Amino acid sequence: MNTQVHIKARRLLFSPSFVTLLIAVAGMLVLGGPSVQAQTTAAPIVDSSITIATNGTVTDTGTTVAVSGSVTIKCRRVIDTTTTTAVPLVMLDFDFSQLKGTTGTGKNVRTFVTGDNHATELRPLQASDTIVVTIPYFDSTKDVLSASSFMATANLTFDVSTGKLTGGTLTYGTNIFSSSGVGTFTVN
Amino acid sequence: MPDRNFFLSPKASKARLREAERARENRWEIIKAHSHGQVSRRDLIKMGLFTGTGLLLPISGLSPFARSAYADSNIPTGLPPSPLFGVQPFSTPMPRFDVLPRNPVSVLNPAPTAQANTTQQPVDPALGGGTGPIEGRPPGPIWAHQQFTQLPPVIAIQATMEGAKVNTVYNPGVPSLQNSGINPATPIPFRFHPGLPDQNVLKDWTYNGTIPPKLMMVRYGEPVLFRLRNRLPVNQNQNGGFGIHTISTHEHNGHHGAENDGFTGAFFFPNQFYDYHYPIVLAGRNSINTTATDNRASGPTDAGGLNKIPGDWHETMSTHWFHDHMFSFTAQNVYKGMAGMFNIYSGLDRGAEDIVDGVNLRLPSGRASVSGKSWGNLDYDVNLMLADKAWDSAGQLAMDIFEFDGFLGDRMTVNLTYKPFMEVERRKYRFRILNGSVSRFFKVALSDGSPMIQIGNDGNLLPAPVVLTKLDEQGIAERYDIVIDFSRYSVGQKVWMVNLAEHQDGKKVDKDLSIAEALSGNSPDPCVGKFLEFRIARNPAQPDISQVPATLIPNPDLSAIPVARERVFEFNRGANQTTNDPVSSFFGPWGIETDNQGGTLAADFGRISAAPRFGTREIWTLKNGGGGWDHPIHIHFEECQTLARDGSAANVPAWERGRKDVWRLRPGGEVKITLQFRDFGGMFMEHCHNTMHEDNAMLLRWEIDDGGAPFLRPLPTPRPTPQGVTFVPPTEILPTAFD
Repeated sequence: MNTQVHIKARRLLFSPSFVTLLIAVAGMLVLGGPSVQAQTTAAPIVDSSITIATNGTVTDTGTTVAVSGSVTIKCRRVIDTTTTTAVPLVMLDFDFSQLKGTTGTGKNVRTFVTGDNHATELRPLQASDTIVVTIPYFDSTKDVLSASSFMATANLTFDVSTGKLTGGTLTYGTNIFSSSGVGTFTVN
Repeated sequence: MPDRNFFLSPKASKARLREAERARENRWEIIKAHSHGQVSRRDLIKMGLFTGTGLLLPISGLSPFARSAYADSNIPTGLPPSPLFGVQPFSTPMPRFDVLPRNPVSVLNPAPTAQANTTQQPVDPALGGGTGPIEGRPPGPIWAHQQFTQLPPVIAIQATMEGAKVNTVYNPGVPSLQNSGINPATPIPFRFHPGLPDQNVLKDWTYNGTIPPKLMMVRYGEPVLFRLRNRLPVNQNQNGGFGIHTISTHEHNGHHGAENDGFTGAFFFPNQFYDYHYPIVLAGRNSINTTATDNRASGPTDAGGLNKIPGDWHETMSTHWFHDHMFSFTAQNVYKGMAGMFNIYSGLDRGAEDIVDGVNLRLPSGRASVSGKSWGNLDYDVNLMLADKAWDSAGQLAMDIFEFDGFLGDRMTVNLTYKPFMEVERRKYRFRILNGSVSRFFKVALSDGSPMIQIGNDGNLLPAPVVLTKLDEQGIAERYDIVIDFSRYSVGQKVWMVNLAEHQDGKKVDKDLSIAEALSGNSPDPCVGKFLEFRIARNPAQPDISQVPATLIPNPDLSAIPVARERVFEFNRGANQTTNDPVSSFFGPWGIETDNQGGTLAADFGRISAAPRFGTREIWTLKNGGGGWDHPIHIHFEECQTLARDGSAANVPAWERGRKDVWRLRPGGEVKITLQFRDFGGMFMEHCHNTMHEDNAMLLRWEIDDGGAPFLRPLPTPRPTPQGVTFVPPTEILPTAFD
């Protein structure tokens, strides 16, 4: 049996409720329906980037770590050309790979690295945006399993007419989620 | 920001909720009529319900995005929230996957055959009557199992596809202690939570008809015969309103012949079976390490040793999944439950952390010396299938198949359980995370911002582990293997997996939230925030000796393999339909343009869009033609390497520098990849894995061109019917396909 033939043979068997629905919808269309959705047009893409020299301190298990290094933030604005109501977006890429942390003095200096760390964020385009991300870091003499995390708060500014990233600052701090993001339960 | 979200807030007025429920009921009538074959999509366009691109017109009382009578202008109606019946999150344990039994192939009756078994049986009158073959695989030499004699199946895994029922044979593969206390002997009704209603037999269709989702466990060097029996209703109308009873299972992303790949046009009918032959081999088996001398190219033996096999050990894979791939019904069928996972064990990725032989990477899994299992220990190796679902006022699974931008559920499930908890020990765990949604992307973090170690991407271990505090967005079908070390917590503490990716519709993520934003409860997206609770229940009985080595599996070196040619595929909205075959073509708002030939084409599995030569390597560029959506693009057959994102190798993040089979193109973005065509032949697919896009109609067929020996050139297209499969010539061959 050809299933397509089978389907066509049953097309007249609409349920009463489906017929009622069609009549109702036809009435709505007579009163006016919206226009057909637009087709694809090339998405206007605008790329920009900034590099920020940063430094700060974070505290982790009683140790204060000085963090410094340059962070490059790449920005791409994308627009949905099929609708007039969508908010333009920016895709942000934070390159934290150049950050280093140090603690101690003399022979006791320890160096921390972030690995090949990037944070990618999709955000609505607005004149200014505050983005909080967590960054892993670990002792350069150990492996990734020893990693902890600290926080970075980025305050970024954009030209909303062009979609370009125009400036920003980055501050570092201790990961506040390490306590607030953990709960307790009663062990049976 | 105006409320433009897919689902209404539970705080919406009763009038708006009633309006939304009416709209859903109205759409439901169309969905039923469509799924019962009473009306085609073309009919709906003629009736004025759809646009020419196949989109449901935003008509009040019909579309969730139509202007509401109870709201300000441009505010959509939205869908009513799925009722929770008083169920609280994190109040039920997360079930581990249900391991499918492995038996000797001799248990199969009838015995498997290289070519399809065309023994005749009576066909139900609802399917046209007469007689038809017992196996739905296309007959003859073209669809015979390739290398069936050289790689005869050793293990049989059997399953049925059927409607929701109670599971009385649950095998989690771990003791109850490692399964949050779940007693496997207790029957498991088909519910998304013990406090939610039982699912109707027609609403959910899964492997064996039960939950938890199924897990196949296989190892390199041990070919498997997967026999799937279709026990779905013979009456097409008996589908609970969505889904179709013809099926095709794709082992994503197996390296095997096309006859085993779940080709979208190689579907089969109720009362038939289909034998899938999974040889479980390393790519390059005919050209690299052909004498099988390298210990790293191997599978585990029962005695704890290595079974060396031919092929390139750099092509070792680990985490697959399997799911339905029925042409233009993949979204509906997978949403109904046709999805499982597929762990592949190897000498490198053994699933036994205490075997020290210089090959085993000793990733978190469990001890062979404790379990007696030399491979595949699941104690600390956990499959997670994330999927958003929705249900109607009666608690029954609900879907809107006309949301061609993408369908979103409003309830998060893990392993098909609504927001569960999992008890863990203070040690390292490996999680194989699958995005099993229809259209939703996830972005996973821990609620305390603690580091996670990503070790795998899609089927493959990375060249090196990557430490992250939140994973990248995870597109539909992508798999991220990660390690979490719970030793940093104390017994009695709990921490959550959190989703940071906020959607407004099914087109793409609209905003990546910070952990604080996601935990605030202010997101209008109900699937943002905590979705899985880890309860640190105890210290491990034995010390954690598992490892995450600094080197995992380096990429294969392709530098000596010339690039035969390049191809470009652009994924667009607004497709043309150049063919009109009633079986193989399908019309929808999405499509693919191949090699800049001036036309975005809607899907037709009878059309050949590309035909790389057997034994060659090519470079493919995948472009997103728009900025308003994202597409997770999947290429079947062999894993690929990512050469560049948006024109630069430097834009490829560390977690994508291994092999992959799904790429999120990102809005307006493009990806350049390289891939090889070797070992097997046949017709394969490339498509968006936002399965609503795939079904409507962002899918193409490509096939491996061996110059006509031993395959035909081009391959004929199968046309399954219950009475047998016939073949027709391709409907179209694009000019650049074979050149």
